[in-house]
Amino acid sequence: MAATKSQGKSFTLFIVGVTAAAAGIAYFSSGMGKLALIGGLIVLALAFGIFLKIKPDEGAIADKGQPAAMRMAGVVAAIFGWVIVVFGLNLSTSVSGRMTTTLIGIAVSLVGSLVLLPIAANKNAIWKA
Amino acid sequence: MKIFRMASATCALAILILAGAGTVARADAAPSASAAELKDAASKAPTTSTLAAGDPGGTITGTVSDVPVSDSKAGLSLGDVANQVGQNKIGINFTWTLLCGFLVMFMQAGFAMVESGLCRVKNANHTYMMNFFVYGCGLFAYWILGFAIQMGGAAGNGNLGGLQPLVGEHTLSLFGKTWGIFGQSGMFLSGHSYDVGVMVIFLFQMVFMDTALTIVTGACAERWKFLTFSVSSVLMGAITYPLFANWAWGGGWLAQLGTNLGLGKGYADFAGSGVVHSVGGVTALAVALIIGPRIGKFNRNGSANAIIGHDISAVLIGCFILAFGWFGFNPGSTLGASAAGCLRIGSVAVNTMLAGCTGTFGALLYMWSMKGKPDASMSANGLLAGLVAITAPSGFVNPIASGIIGLIAGVLVCLSVAFVENTLKVDDPVGAISVHGACGLWGVISVGLFADGTSNYGGAWNGVSGSVTGLFYGDASQLVAQLVGVSTLIGFVFGFSYALNWVLDIFLGHRVSAESEVAGLDLPEMGQLGYPEFVFTPEPATMSVAAHAAVA
Repeated sequence: MAATKSQGKSFTLFIVGVTAAAAGIAYFSSGMGKLALIGGLIVLALAFGIFLKIKPDEGAIADKGQPAAMRMAGVVAAIFGWVIVVFGLNLSTSVSGRMTTTLIGIAVSLVGSLVLLPIAANKNAIWKA
Repeated sequence: MKIFRMASATCALAILILAGAGTVARADAAPSASAAELKDAASKAPTTSTLAAGDPGGTITGTVSDVPVSDSKAGLSLGDVANQVGQNKIGINFTWTLLCGFLVMFMQAGFAMVESGLCRVKNANHTYMMNFFVYGCGLFAYWILGFAIQMGGAAGNGNLGGLQPLVGEHTLSLFGKTWGIFGQSGMFLSGHSYDVGVMVIFLFQMVFMDTALTIVTGACAERWKFLTFSVSSVLMGAITYPLFANWAWGGGWLAQLGTNLGLGKGYADFAGSGVVHSVGGVTALAVALIIGPRIGKFNRNGSANAIIGHDISAVLIGCFILAFGWFGFNPGSTLGASAAGCLRIGSVAVNTMLAGCTGTFGALLYMWSMKGKPDASMSANGLLAGLVAITAPSGFVNPIASGIIGLIAGVLVCLSVAFVENTLKVDDPVGAISVHGACGLWGVISVGLFADGTSNYGGAWNGVSGSVTGLFYGDASQLVAQLVGVSTLIGFVFGFSYALNWVLDIFLGHRVSAESEVAGLDLPEMGQLGYPEFVFTPEPATMSVAAHAAVA
């Protein structure tokens, strides 16, 4: 199906919504700011509604879908590794102690990003068909 | 004897009083002398008739008569001269930073040529257009929101006049310390941020942000739906990039690791191996994992097919444009050419070109030795890898370290490309994940290893006095700070980018239809071929499978 007028209109709505919402945040202290934020969020919701509606028009894609649970596990592992690092900085005051917890956290994040998520991505990969 | 002592004491006292009086008299006379000197200089300034005769040697243009006088009756004063000196310093720094920003902006052309050249001819227009429109998407998003998140609390930069309007960092108290989380002032560049210094830092930071965004387009080329690319780019320019950039450059918690926890000088990333390139690289990995490989990239047994780009000349010329732009990227990151250690710009520039050189050597020699040919596209990636890696340490290391950092990056990019393709089975048409992600992370780590402690940007970095010093020069804690940055990139930034783009995949879908992909994206997505007069040659069977076969 490729690019369409609907896509162009929905992207325009998205830009309008983002702009209005940002203006609302910038001037939140004023009544107009609050109004702009609410209006912007409504327009954004509308834009995403249209995105979802026109998505099937794209046609069949070369993608069989990825197992959601494994994807979630991968994302959680990646972020959890970072959490280990942040909290690990306060478990020890020594450089070596902090180095150790940081490396452990990095390893956990790598498991998420370079092991779990690629497994999820390749589970039903198009090239396996 | 007693009389003699009294007389001596009286004489000594008299001498002391006279000496003091002399000092006072000289002190009183000082302004008069200076004023007289100023008056004298003004009287000797070339007259308009002298200047009208022309100044081919440049010896009489720019004199005391060019210094603005605040009170014409009193004439030129020391205050006038001092004000002019101050404005000259800021003027030099503004000019330097803006010119470097213009160079970085031109890197978009380099990225467009490299990425498009490495893609097939049927996708040339689409790839060029992504590189073109990412500039608009990023700039717009950064103007309305991103800049405020990144720099909204970054007041205090003396090089650019203080940036005092940017005083809105939102903080969080954790473990008894206060940590910066995001900035809050500067949205739409309105209100107090309508300021000359803020405009300069906005332009410079904006072009950096856009560099990060354009990295993703390379990894997802030849199959990314233009609509989803546009929305994703807006969100990355508004949220993802500015958040990490605030933590590193905007006074956020990574920069505070030094002041709050004593970890070196805090996370140190001179010009953005982490902030720009790794953010782009890990986001590219996240989106590439979601979007999947191109049709025909992998065989059923998992082996990869080489999908050759259509224009190696564009790739290599694009690389030189990027290398040229990098002279804005790294030396420009001093944010000035006058005061606060800014004269190190020469070192920064030389480090940059050396690392690019050794990066090229690393990749070319590796490919030539291991694969038998001095592969052009990998050599190009080697140059970029060296430049990416030296971006963070360029302001802190010596030329020998730069050469080593670049050389390692050149080899690393070859290994990483093979790992991403053969082990992860992730399709990255231009090698962006390896060039910017892997080598960007290496650059961040290399600061913690090679920083030699000789830099002096105003006597402190991230609020900690002294110079950034790495493990090899005696400060292991700096390496920990760098690794915390690495963890944030591969943990938080990657995870956040993946989650954000997963949501976009649900609502919009990242991938074009198989039919469009096989036909090439130029006509279905852009409505126009990149090269309408080219005669297409048939692709190998693996890459020209029918659309129905690709989705079956």
